Parts: sequence; structure tokens; C-alpha cells
Amino acid sequence: MLFAALYRLFAPRRALLFLLTLLLLGAGLTGLTRLEVREDIESMLPDDTSRVADDFRRLQQAPFARKVLISLHGSQITSTATLLEAADGLAAALSSEYFSRAATGPAMLENNRLPDWLETNLPLLLGADDRQRIADELTPERVRGRLETDYQRMLSPEGWLLKGGIRRDPLELRNLGLDKLRFVNPIAKTRLHNGHFLSSDGRSALIIADSSVAITDSGGGARMLEQFRQAADGVLPKGIEASLVSGHAYTVANAEAIQRDLFVVLTASTLGLAVLFMLFLRSWRSLFVFLVPVSVVGLAAVAVSWCYPAVSGVTLGFGAVLLGIAVDYGLHVYFVLRQGDEEPEIALGRISRPVLFGALTTLAGFAVLLTSSLPGQRQLAIFAMTGITSALLLALIVLPHLVVPGWRPTPRRLYQSLAVEPRRKSGLLLLLWLAILVGCSWKVAEVPINGDLRSLSLIPAELLASEHELQQTWGNLRSLAMVFAEGGTLQEALAANDMLFELLRRELPEAPVVSLAPLLPAATTQANNLRHWREFWEQRGEATRRLLREAGAERGFATAAFDPFFAGLQRQPEPVTVATLRQVGLGDLLDALLLDQGEKVQLVTLVPDTPEVAALFTADAALPPGIHLVSQARFGREVGNAIRADFMQFLTLAGGAVLIMVSLLLRRPGKILLALLPVATGLVVMLGTMGWLGMEFNLFNIVATILVIGLGVDYGIFMVCLDDPGEDKATRRAVLVAGMTTLVGFGALVFAQHPALHSIGATVLLGIGGAVPTALLVVPALRRERR
Amino acid sequence: MKRLMLLLTLLLACMTPALAEEDPGLALDRILAELEHSAAGIETLASDFVQEKHLEMFRETLVSRGRFYFARPDKLRWEMTEPVASGFLLNGDSGSRWHERAGAAVPFDIAREPGMQLIAQQLLAWARVDIVWLVRQYRMTLVSEQPVTLKLVPLQAGAEQFVEYLQIGFDAERRYVETVEVHEPGGDSTRISFAGTELNQPLDPALF
Repeated sequence: MLFAALYRLFAPRRALLFLLTLLLLGAGLTGLTRLEVREDIESMLPDDTSRVADDFRRLQQAPFARKVLISLHGSQITSTATLLEAADGLAAALSSEYFSRAATGPAMLENNRLPDWLETNLPLLLGADDRQRIADELTPERVRGRLETDYQRMLSPEGWLLKGGIRRDPLELRNLGLDKLRFVNPIAKTRLHNGHFLSSDGRSALIIADSSVAITDSGGGARMLEQFRQAADGVLPKGIEASLVSGHAYTVANAEAIQRDLFVVLTASTLGLAVLFMLFLRSWRSLFVFLVPVSVVGLAAVAVSWCYPAVSGVTLGFGAVLLGIAVDYGLHVYFVLRQGDEEPEIALGRISRPVLFGALTTLAGFAVLLTSSLPGQRQLAIFAMTGITSALLLALIVLPHLVVPGWRPTPRRLYQSLAVEPRRKSGLLLLLWLAILVGCSWKVAEVPINGDLRSLSLIPAELLASEHELQQTWGNLRSLAMVFAEGGTLQEALAANDMLFELLRRELPEAPVVSLAPLLPAATTQANNLRHWREFWEQRGEATRRLLREAGAERGFATAAFDPFFAGLQRQPEPVTVATLRQVGLGDLLDALLLDQGEKVQLVTLVPDTPEVAALFTADAALPPGIHLVSQARFGREVGNAIRADFMQFLTLAGGAVLIMVSLLLRRPGKILLALLPVATGLVVMLGTMGWLGMEFNLFNIVATILVIGLGVDYGIFMVCLDDPGEDKATRRAVLVAGMTTLVGFGALVFAQHPALHSIGATVLLGIGGAVPTALLVVPALRRERR
Repeated sequence: MKRLMLLLTLLLACMTPALAEEDPGLALDRILAELEHSAAGIETLASDFVQEKHLEMFRETLVSRGRFYFARPDKLRWEMTEPVASGFLLNGDSGSRWHERAGAAVPFDIAREPGMQLIAQQLLAWARVDIVWLVRQYRMTLVSEQPVTLKLVPLQAGAEQFVEYLQIGFDAERRYVETVEVHEPGGDSTRISFAGTELNQPLDPALF
């Protein structure tokens, strides 16, 4: 056998072997320090050309995704003036180091040029529907009604202010222009008070800020939040409270939760491993077993960096935890050398076969992840495969020289009761196993798959309450769906945007839409509007003049009262451009809704994220070219579908790979089935219990499932490879301890508050919790039954 | 010498009226101080009004009538009874308006209506005789002292588009405004005359 021969080769040259090993591991650790690590979640999203990947990239451009929203709430007795003063004070107190801009109101309403600008540009902005509305107003009754209103307004004390407007626009056509402003207000539930955002109940004010801190920067985010708290404590008067909602708050909450969890989980798993050590190992040399997976982390990370320019932080963290499974190989080697009755090279030769095959099945499981569309999962596959291979070689070539045989611990009663004497209760045991299997199978298909990435994040109750309050007070700012109208040039994009707006108004007339189209139509649309406007008044101008004269005379208006109106109809307005919109104070809106990326221009339209909107943008809908819907709800569903498809693909491929490996190793159908029993039981118990408990399946559960498959098969192979299940106590003990170290190491994650860590812990705890007893108790019992 | 005496005589003759008449600026300050002092004691005010509008866009003068109420510090009711029943009331930052066609009063937020805000500021300033505010808004000249009549030219940039000047007349005892004239560029004007004014009479709280 190869490994027995290698043992003999290095036995007299141990110093050289250790030196080579240290050099290799040292190189790995050096490489680890030079890695470029990325902390964002993008590695956990598809990087292919799929719609999910495309949607994610577009979601990053949501106008409010990167904004910091600060809502100020006053008490019952807080006056509006005090509240708005507090908002101004807090905005000024926010440090420019973290908050690059803080606005307490929309810039567009800070100047009064907008109404006049709209009135002047009506010929360019009004479309066919608007012209029809004008035509409907040009009846004697309607005109008489309008002039009666104008007359009464002239009687009021405000009359001298309104006179010019009434002469220029007796029919109030300007209302059609003002009506377009409702399409450029993304904060649905706001009203403006002295240029400030004020909630409809008058009790809350809003600050919208930009931040130079990256949303994924937990350290910078924490400092930013602290600065906000200090500023709020310093400037807000008694009775006014401020809450901040932004992506930073989530990042900081998650980073803090993970730090707390790591303390709890590491404490729990360290204590657990210490107990296992005291019960089963009791030798300082066993520490080398635990060093095997730790020492290969650097090598695995370097291997990933050879394939990818930047390594995901998630891959490193999760991969390092995953490598904990490599401790199993060392445990088998340790037990067979330390507690077996054979010479080391014979024992090594005997154990190397199942260890090698166990590792190969695990590698096959992880190799399946190479087909994933998620770069993070592919990186994880390379990381795990390199780490497992390195750990396997260390366990079979180096570890035997560190674990000197000769010491035997006294068998413990706990171990005996758990694994050695099951034979008298075989029937009862098998019945119990079968009952559990049937009970769990019942619910396997009922595990829902949750593709919402937010479900992988910890959302503290306080933050959730702030988000809910923000939504109640100001509308659904942060989760509107976006529709992109794209073009190679600004005019192409504007033309697509016009078609999109028309579609939305036609199909979903009641939906609140935020779009630039009503105020910035494409040049061709403006030219068309102007042409139709002129044709309209050429046809109706004289009749309208007559109507106004006759109806006006009834109310005492002079014949020339409305000459300014007819003069205005002849004016030639300048085309509306991006520059003119900036001049009238719509710069913020342009920055949010117009994305000029050089080679292409995109215009964003915000719509409610409802099934009706999604239905309008289904794949088979006849949409104008360059139109794409990006909806968080649909994105969640698509990621969910991708996870479901990935899971089925992984399960099929991993199952097939494992079956092939086990068949090659064991060859006999009976043995193959027995070897697969622990993994099958583990999966059924895992999914069934999740179904009974109403738990959901997420992105991290897939990787954890592959872990369960790899380890579960290992246990089966080891137990089937035993010549006599009752006699080879070293192997049985190795399986038991390996299973328990996995349960302690990964299962401790179930104590974590963070949903991602908790879900990994729960999956492994249930899966391995089902596989280990099956391997140790059911497999031997069935083998006895067969005999 | 004769020439010198003649020159001195002429000089004295020229100086004598200057010494005898009050400086117009000082007179205005004095009048404004008196107006402010007199108005300080007014807590409520109720008055009939007649509004006449002379506008180019109408063939005839628009005449309307109604009643005006004021209570310190910021309650105001402008109630037109002819030719249509309509009006508005202000109570601090909030208010409501009504019209005979619509029936029930409709509330409004004064901060959201710049036009109404401007009118409210003016009416309240005149009702309170808020000299400090008025001096900031207008360049004033004294047209006559008995009865006191002031001419006011707006100081704010852009206001000249709407108003050329105002002319305000006070009652003989200088306690309240009796006439307001708004003269616009182009020749249009509005005159509001207040009559039957009652000072410091209890007002029904339901009015506001």
C-alpha cells in the first residue's frame, strides 16, 4: 500500500518530512496574508448573464439603496417650527467625514421658478391625453364655469396676486403641468412645509443624506452611526427623537451579531471539544489531529487566489469552518495507530483505503459546487477541495509520525453504551429508526425555499421597527420596484422612457409612478407635442376666443381681458433639456433617475413592487426595446428559484458522484446500500425535521447539505469497511468521535443569533445527528440481520 | 453794505420756515409711534368692509361687501357677503375657506399657500398695526397727518411686479385702519374701506 510504503520511507527521515511540511504550510500562511479579500455579498450572487445577475447589478442603482434616511419624530406638543428647526440643526451637525450631503427638503421646491417654467413649456410637455382634456374643457358650460371661478377669485383679497395668472391662463391649463409634478415625488407620504419634508400628520421630518462610507464597511458604518447618535444627542431638543435607516445599519448589526455569535459558538464548541478530548483522547499528541485542518487554511486560500483575483470574505470564513471536517481523517489515523493492535504501517495501510475513499466522496460532493453560477460557491469548492486534499495527505503521510503508538486509554462506559453493545436490541432499534425515517419523510417535500437575501441577515427588532415606522410615515421608499429604460444615447433612452411611461399609464393608471418622462420627454416627443399643440390651437383658437369673449362678457370681463392667453399660445418655447431641469431645481431628481454610464444611458422609473406590475413585465410581454423591470420581490423569487434549481442539481450530481465512488469502492449492492444508509437517513432527518419545525431552506443550507452528504457517506464507508463491526473498536470509536466533533464544531452554530450561521448549525446538527447513530447502530444491526 | 444786508435778509427769510416746520422723517416716526401706541390696546376688532376693484380686465368696477374680524394675536376672519358668500379664516398656521357653492368650509395649511400667506401677513400686520414688520417691508412716506395717511412702496425684490404702492388711511383717533388702497403697475387699483368698526368687543370664539 502506498501510504504504508511512505510511512516506511519517512520513518528514518522524520526531520526532513517535518521541515518540508513546515515550509509548505509556511508558504500557505504567507500567501494568506497577501490575499485581497472582498467583504460584499456580490460573491453570493450569480455572475453569469442570467436575469438574476443582471437584476442584482441594477438593484445596486436604486435611488434610495445607498441613501441614509433619518426620520425625526416629535411629541404631541412639539410644534412644526420646532421640529423643522431640529431637522435643520441635526442636518448641520452631521459630520461631513461620514455624511457628504444632508437635505431636509427637495431642492426643486426651494425656488419658485418651477410653476412658471411648467406653464411656459406646456406645448412641449402635454401629450395627446392632455390635449384631449383641454378639448373637453372647451365647451360653453365649462368655459362659463371657469370664468365664474376666475371672477370670484378676483373678488378675494388674493385677487391682485392672481390677476396676471388669470389673464395668461383663464382656463387653468397650468394645472396640467402641475399635475406632472406628482410623477417626480418619490416620497409618497410627504408634504412640504417651508421647503422641508414633513409627514402628512405633521409630526415627523425627514433628512435624506449621502454617505461616503461603503455600505459593506462595518467599521466605517459603526463610526458613522456613532457620529449620528452623538449629533442627535447634542442638538435635538427634548421630545424629538431621530432614527436612522440605511444599509450601514444592517451591516453594523450583522457584524456585531457575528462577533457576539463567534464568542458564544467558539466557547460552546471549545468546551464540547474539551469534553470529547477528556472522554476519548486524553493525550497531548491528539492535538496534532486538530492542527491538521487548521494548518491547511493558508494553502486552500492561496489555491482560490490563483483562480480568482479577489477572494470572498464569506468563502474564507465559511471555508475555514468547513475544513473542520478534515479532522475526521486525522482521527481515524490517530485511533488506528494509538488504539489498534497492529503495527503502524499495517494499520495505516488498512485505514488509508476507507479514509482515502471517504475523502474522495467528500471531494466529489464539493466538486459539484464548481458548476454553481455563484462565484462564492465556486470559490468555496476550490477552497474546500484544496483544503481537504491537503489535510488528507497530512493525515496519511505526516500525522502518523507525530502520533507515536503505544498508549491505550481504558474504554469508557459512555462509549460502550453508545456504540458497542447494540446487538440485543436490534429489532427495537431498527423499528425506531424506521419510525423516525417514515415520520421525517412525511415532511421532506414541505420545506420552503427562501431566496430572499435579507433573510440571511440579522435584522434587529429596533432596526425593523425603524424601517416599519419609516414606511408608515413616508411610504415604501426603500423597496420600490425599478424599471430601466436603456439606450445608447440620452435621446434613445428618453424615447424608451417615454414608451415605458405611456405603457404604465395605459395599463396601470392608478399606480403611483415616479418618472422623468412627464418633465423630460425625448426631443422627438417634444417636437411632436409642439406640432400637435399648434395644430390643436389652429383648429380651436378662434372658437376659444369667441367662447371666452361671450362667457366673459356675462361676468363683466373686458374684451381684451384674455389677450395675454392668446399671445402665449403663439410663443416658441426652447426645448426642455437636462440642463434646464437642473436650472429649475430638479438636479436631485436627475441624479437619482438618470444614469449616464458613457456607453449607455439608463432612466429609472419607480413603481410599486406588486404582482400587477410584475405581470406587466413578464418575459413574454411585448415590451418596447431596452425596458427591464427590477423588483426586489421578483429578485427574491428568482434567487429562490435559482437556489431550488441549484439544490436539485447539486443533490443529483453529488448523489451520482457519491454513488459512483461508493460503487467503485464497495462493488457489492448490499454493501453499497448499507454505506449510503447514514447519508440517506441524515438527509431525510434533516429535511423532515426542518419541515416539521417550519424552517426554511436558504443559500447556506445547500453547502451545509453537501457537508452532510460528504460526512454521512464517510461514516457509512468506514462502518461497512469493518470486517467485524463488533471487534474493530478503533474504527467505531473514530466514527463516533468524528461524528461528535462535527456535531460539536458545527452544531454549536445553532446557538448563533445570526440567521446564516444558525441555519448552517441547524442543518449540520440535524443531518449529522441522523447520520452518526445510523452509522454506529443501524448499519451494524442490519449487517447482523443479514448474516 | 446794502447788498450785504439784503443777502442776510434773504438768507434769514429762507431759513425761518425750515426752523419752523418739522423734519418729514421725524414726523413719520412720531406718527408711527403714536399709531403703534394707540393700537397696542386693541385686542379685538370687527368691521364692515367695502372693496372696490378698478381693473383693466373688467369693464366695470368690482364691488364686494362683507365683514372683517380680528383677535390678537393671530386670529382673523374675512367674510364676504356680497355678491357671493365666501371667505376665509386664519387661526395661527391653519385656516379654512368657504364658498356658497361648496357649502362646508375646507381647511388649508397656510404654509402650503404662498399667496394666502402673503395676504394673511398683510392683513394681520395692518390689524395689529405692526410697525416693526411694516417698516421692514415698505418704504413709508407721510401723505397727510389729519387723518393719518401713509404711502408705502414695497422694498422686497420682485414685489414691484404686483404692487406699485399702497396707501393706508387711519381713523381720526389713529387706532385702526379705515382705508387701504393697492395701486398696481399698469393703473389697476383696489380700495378697501372699513366702516362701523368695533374695538375690543367680545367676539364669538366660533368665528375662528
